[in-house]
Amino acid sequence: MKKKSTLLGDIISHVFLIITTIVAVFPLVWIFISSVKGKGELTSEPTRFWPKILTLDYFEHVINDLNFIVNIKNSLFISLITTVIAITISAMAAYGIVRFFPKLGSIMSKLLVTTYIFPPILLAIPYSIAMAKVGLTNTTSGLIIVYLSFSVPYAVWLLVGFFQTVPIEIEEAAKIDGANKFTIFFKIVLPLVAPGIVATAIYTFINAWNEFLYALILVNDTSKMTVAVALRSLNGAEILDWGDMMAASVLVVLPSVLFFCFIQNKITSGLSEGSVK
Amino acid sequence: MYYRQHNYTRWIFVLPALLVVSVLFIYPFLSSIFYSFTNKNLIMPNYSFVGFANYQAVLADPNFWMSFFNSLKWTVLSLVGQVLMGFFLALALNRVKRFKWLYKILLIIPWAFPTIVIAFSWQWILNGVYGYLPNMLVELGLMDIAPNFLSDRTWAFICLVFINIWFGAPMIMVNVLSALQTVPADQYEAAKIDGASAWQIFRYITLPHIKLVVGLLVVLRTIWVFNNFDIIYLITGGGPANATMTLPIYAYDMGWGSKLLGRSSAVTVLLFIFLLTICFIYFAIINRWEKESK
Repeated sequence: MKKKSTLLGDIISHVFLIITTIVAVFPLVWIFISSVKGKGELTSEPTRFWPKILTLDYFEHVINDLNFIVNIKNSLFISLITTVIAITISAMAAYGIVRFFPKLGSIMSKLLVTTYIFPPILLAIPYSIAMAKVGLTNTTSGLIIVYLSFSVPYAVWLLVGFFQTVPIEIEEAAKIDGANKFTIFFKIVLPLVAPGIVATAIYTFINAWNEFLYALILVNDTSKMTVAVALRSLNGAEILDWGDMMAASVLVVLPSVLFFCFIQNKITSGLSEGSVK
Repeated sequence: MYYRQHNYTRWIFVLPALLVVSVLFIYPFLSSIFYSFTNKNLIMPNYSFVGFANYQAVLADPNFWMSFFNSLKWTVLSLVGQVLMGFFLALALNRVKRFKWLYKILLIIPWAFPTIVIAFSWQWILNGVYGYLPNMLVELGLMDIAPNFLSDRTWAFICLVFINIWFGAPMIMVNVLSALQTVPADQYEAAKIDGASAWQIFRYITLPHIKLVVGLLVVLRTIWVFNNFDIIYLITGGGPANATMTLPIYAYDMGWGSKLLGRSSAVTVLLFIFLLTICFIYFAIINRWEKESK
């Protein structure tokens, strides 16, 4: 009896997982297929799955004629610099919280959660006014500063979880050998949490890469736009058809998806181990 | 001992982050409150103090209230869907052995989608003329003519909620799954020997262990979904005929569409106060759970 019911449970689980997996990946599969289907096929046979003719025309058009490369470069640059600054600041803060402020630490991490309550649209208004005042509208540095607002709190939060796994004995031994705080941090602790740092960095990068609202509000010069906003501004324009939109989507989603699959285990251990306990 | 020795170098570690957080949150927060009492305009440089006029105007606007109720509907429906889907997926994943890694990787893919690609892909799939889904429904004989989901008031809302569940369930799933793995196996063994039913095992062993993680997730997701701007803005823009207008979109339209930054600030301050209240209630509940488990 018992065996039968577990078997049934397994079958139900698999069926459920298979159906939801198909729903989960369908949009990704569909934009891939649509981006390489021959001209006309997209609109003439909307439900046809496999393409009759394969073509890279859309990719060529998007990359060569729409200046999309400039926007990809902008996004890359902004996401990369944001990540470097955010991770440096956050790693130090997370370590500081774990080692030097054990009691204040819990208050600090609660403070970081409260930053989450601030609606991005609430911050967007003062950001845009302040950026106009200091002349940083339409600049990459303006966006990078603003991106620190969502990347630093989250990165600190994830990193606290990773730093908590470092045994204090190792640091105390180094201290007896005469190492100071900074040597201990850079030479001993950082290498130990390197995998966590990498995961957090990738996550920060993806979030900056995917950001939309601030980029929409703070940048309106096409040559300074990030990919997300550039795509948005092309949507509805005459020159862009569905094939182009799908090719552009593939270019934007691909790095995100690949990196994400790579780090997903690490991000969640941060949330469940670090912050809740 | 170790903590006490250098009393100020330790501040060097946390100072940059504290500085960033205070400059990027406290300053804009205070200035939002300030602007909400002025007639600050997107185009005109001069502005003056107007007292509570913005708040009065906003609270008297039927569109504000409609956006507010849309926001509530959007948040509750999305969240219930995300949590239930995420939960069942985690339980199913925790059970199966074969292909577990494959399911897991494929199921989290939506989470990695940039919103612009979420918008493009779903607009393409749901497109009333060339879209896969409407045409498939016709081909399967379920509909006579391809429906145009995103330009129908009711369907547009349902589609958005569905897309949000599609996007958010993986995050819940992965977190619940890792929480499930912290439940000690010997407790399950003991319960089985005592002849506990599957429901009893879930209720008295699994649930207490994952309650806190799920509670925290619900708080974070509530805030995130309530504040969400891009999914709705990019897919329907608040339309058709304001059917999917939520508070963040309303605030954006007020500020960048009607140029009324002061009034827009008042909307965002109200939005913030509402979220803060919700959070207080949530945290009161979670704190009680924490005390119970101690």
